Amino acid sequence: MAIGKAISRVEAGDKVTGAARYTEDVRVAETAHAVLLGSAISAGRVRGIDTRRAERAPGVLAVITHLNRPDFAAVPPTPYTAEGRMPLVDDRIHYAGQYIAVVVAETREQAEHAATLVVVDYHRTSPVPTLDAALSQAYIPRENGLARVPSEYRRGNAEAALAAAPVRVEEEYRTAALSHAPIEPSSTLAYWEGDRLTIYDSTQSVHMHRPLVAIAFGVPEDRVRMYCSLVGGGFGNKSYSWPHVFLAPMAARVVRRPVRVTISRKQVFTGTGHMAATVQTVRLGADQDGRLRALIHDSVNQTSFIDDRQETASAITPYVYAVPDLYARIRVTKVNTGTGGAMRTPGDSAGAFALESALDELAHRLGMDPLELRRRNHADVDPVSGRPWSGKQLLACYDQAAERFGWDRRNPEPGSARDGDDLIGYGMAGGQRTEHQRPAQATVDLTDDGTAVIRSSMVEIGGGGLTTLSQIAADGLGLPTAAVTFQHGDSALPAAAPTFGSMTSGSTGSAVKLAAADALRAAIDLAVGDRRSPLHGADPDDVVAHEGGLRLRDRPGDGESYRALLRRNRINTLRGDGDFQPEGEDAEHAMATFGVHFTEVRINRYLPRVRVVRHVAAFSIGRVLNAKTARNQAQGGIIMRLGAALMENQRPDPVSGRFISPALTDYHVPVNADIGEIDVIFVEEPDTNANPLGARGLGEICAVGICASVANAVHHATGKRVRSLPITPDKLL
Amino acid sequence: MRPFHYTRAGDVAEALRILSQDEGAALIAGGTDLVTLMRDGISGPSHLVDVNGLGLDEVRWLPGGGVRLGAMCRNAANDSRLRRAYPVLSEALRSGASPQIRNRASVGGNLLQQTRCTYFRLPEFACNRRNAGSGCSALQGDSHAQAIFGASSQCVAVHPSDFSVALQALDAVVLTEGTRGRRRIPVDQFFRLPGDTPQVTTELRRDELIVGVELPDSPFAARSHYVKFRERASYAFALVSAAVAVEVRSGTVRSARVALGGVAAKPWRSQAAEEALVGARLNEETIAAAGDAAARGAQPQRHNAYKVELVRRVVRQALSELG
Repeated sequence: MAIGKAISRVEAGDKVTGAARYTEDVRVAETAHAVLLGSAISAGRVRGIDTRRAERAPGVLAVITHLNRPDFAAVPPTPYTAEGRMPLVDDRIHYAGQYIAVVVAETREQAEHAATLVVVDYHRTSPVPTLDAALSQAYIPRENGLARVPSEYRRGNAEAALAAAPVRVEEEYRTAALSHAPIEPSSTLAYWEGDRLTIYDSTQSVHMHRPLVAIAFGVPEDRVRMYCSLVGGGFGNKSYSWPHVFLAPMAARVVRRPVRVTISRKQVFTGTGHMAATVQTVRLGADQDGRLRALIHDSVNQTSFIDDRQETASAITPYVYAVPDLYARIRVTKVNTGTGGAMRTPGDSAGAFALESALDELAHRLGMDPLELRRRNHADVDPVSGRPWSGKQLLACYDQAAERFGWDRRNPEPGSARDGDDLIGYGMAGGQRTEHQRPAQATVDLTDDGTAVIRSSMVEIGGGGLTTLSQIAADGLGLPTAAVTFQHGDSALPAAAPTFGSMTSGSTGSAVKLAAADALRAAIDLAVGDRRSPLHGADPDDVVAHEGGLRLRDRPGDGESYRALLRRNRINTLRGDGDFQPEGEDAEHAMATFGVHFTEVRINRYLPRVRVVRHVAAFSIGRVLNAKTARNQAQGGIIMRLGAALMENQRPDPVSGRFISPALTDYHVPVNADIGEIDVIFVEEPDTNANPLGARGLGEICAVGICASVANAVHHATGKRVRSLPITPDKLL
Repeated sequence: MRPFHYTRAGDVAEALRILSQDEGAALIAGGTDLVTLMRDGISGPSHLVDVNGLGLDEVRWLPGGGVRLGAMCRNAANDSRLRRAYPVLSEALRSGASPQIRNRASVGGNLLQQTRCTYFRLPEFACNRRNAGSGCSALQGDSHAQAIFGASSQCVAVHPSDFSVALQALDAVVLTEGTRGRRRIPVDQFFRLPGDTPQVTTELRRDELIVGVELPDSPFAARSHYVKFRERASYAFALVSAAVAVEVRSGTVRSARVALGGVAAKPWRSQAAEEALVGARLNEETIAAAGDAAARGAQPQRHNAYKVELVRRVVRQALSELG
């Protein structure tokens, strides 16, 4: 069995030698380069824009503004069109850095130079700079493509139950705006041949984004071919088509040449979204024995003047604990920043900070162990639908992670553990993520050289999907993983689920499994019907895949290789089709992924920077496809959220609202020296209710709960409760 | 980025000639700061004069005591004798940037690096330092990283260098060469506070270049230490840092230097802290008094009052770790 094995990534060699080809590495003859000019103001209008000097600059082919742009055929639908306003559509400016001109030249340097020569006359209006400035204007958004999650949920009467509860916690929690900060800046290369458009785009899904481009340019979808083989980090910011994706084909039409747009590092911070800042209140009511009676979770996030995009911080709350009376609400408020985007893990990671911090506060107030508090409120069934959970192993996660961490050594008294000048704190928090599935298609071709080829449009984002899906096909056909190759990242291939929302393993993985089974079935049918085959006349159900071929289940000696079978029959490839259709809302079971985190922090009592020296997490995600890539992905998710806990903060300028950490120098993410020991446990149970493969998603659940776990450990170490992320030294002085 | 001429200077005279002939000319050494400034549209030199071929990369011990570091010594300079004689210098260098940047960045360039003030680094904001008389967006802006000493109504930015803070504690002298001759400028005078001319950050003239830095022999240099406090373990500019050097004889502090980073537009020497040390025994009480003295007179902005307390603590930590 290849599934479950700790196999190194199949593309690892290419990546470390530089042979891996990312979007920016694609070369097409005659490519011109476009640079996007961003607005210097955050609110107002372009009163005038003088492009004459830029147009005369060396190498310049075109300068496109709202005054001379071609029309878009239509506005493609949100949410996967990131902004509901098409770029350059009018003279209005809604946020700093919003694109107001496209400069196309022979070289990127020429375009950059010419962009400095564009003179813009702005009409400034007064911006709404920050979430705080807009907080009083918060509202429930009308449901639309972006506000997809219900804004309110209610069961019982939470206000009355809260008032009646003997113990209460009512606090406000804040999360900062965060940037995805991938290594790879987004890049799009587009060219037209008549009405056929070829587009290389750093996208997390060619099949989700291709129709958007087709609609915007008014061409049939099958005239657009979109490629993306590898993404150099996305974390959600490449799960949308941001304005540059539409500007590249527009510019290519104008100059009648291939045009590449690679946004600048600064534009990564302004032009491809962010996780919106939130202000949340959590009100908990409980009995003296820790049983939750009431829970109210209210969240407000900033959104742009263009769109109503929820950071769905309280959306998961109704599903997490067995609370009879509960009210959750999500509101938004308009600020002059760009539209936010999904960032690992949308909604849930911000929400878990508030909810799981509040639970820690409640445990402290009750004098109860925080883990015990969570055990007492364990949701044995989905509290929203009443359906049984599929494969929920959260209690086992609690047990195994607590034991590995040594939670029983914790003296509950804050400030009780020291080592020299270090204050030591232990904290924990839980996490939950609703499992999402999408239809996915793949084919698996058995070839007459005894290998197999997977064909599916999946994009490899670094999570290990190329490897795990190869393992699935290998097992399905009885081949070594090395005998499986993968054609991927091309919209001409069968449509994979997008590489976001933790859907690769469950959805695309299931499609590959079905395709491999279909190919195997075809091979078996061929063999049992072939007089020259040693398997001729056998019952197909008795034939199994084994070591590169087929054999009888009960008589291992009787069989033959795929190679022999196909060559004898003069068949180059046998194709198996896989079409995974999730059961959706009608399923018998409720599906989610679950996790728990335990964190040890050390804080020098004079110079209080929080160091996470040890972190143990356990996850319930069904079946683990590859122990190595899974551990790696979980560690990455944990580290990402340690950044959010301790340092990441996309600060807005308090006057203009412009983000003022425009480079990786300023926008701090953890460096290697910040990372302590991270131990990951998977409580495995193949979850075949979820899908044929038994695997649920990991990429997102691994990043839910870490911030609260750290904050709770900081409280344990210092007695100080920090309710506003990130927990920087100034908050601990 | 704007188009520019490029010359690889063969000797100091050639570099100076271009500097004096072309007002828009700028020197480039490691380029670790300048290239970013050019890309971001903060700096647009008409002519880049590459000084990487000038030599000037020796560490030379002086017969009368002290040492001279060539301007083109890299920030990765790791000389064991230097480490023993001037521990604070090696520690400050090692605490800066990343190994890759230290391998590239030069001694002279380190002194001349520009502030990290985001209002300076983003051309969309008004900045007197970048564009004299245009105003200062930082005054109403986010001030968590700004100065608490020596700021003016024109500029509140801080100098980002670690190395320069150590130089300040070591009474270093900046050696320059210009068309009008050579100068020796004490490091405290080399850097300027913003006052009414924040665009002028150092004493270096247009037609001058730094050829080296001289560290005098001093009674306190050997017992010196650098503490840098920042938001993450590595690869971040200081929130507050302190370079301290102390001469103790017969249990009593005879001379001392305390310099602070991350608090002013120049490496900030705290004579008040030095006075609290001199003549006293180097014990907990004295150290606490020096920390308090270092913080005295601080004028925090709206979001950086935390730096005042950090100054106290970083100075205490540095002195305590001197042993």
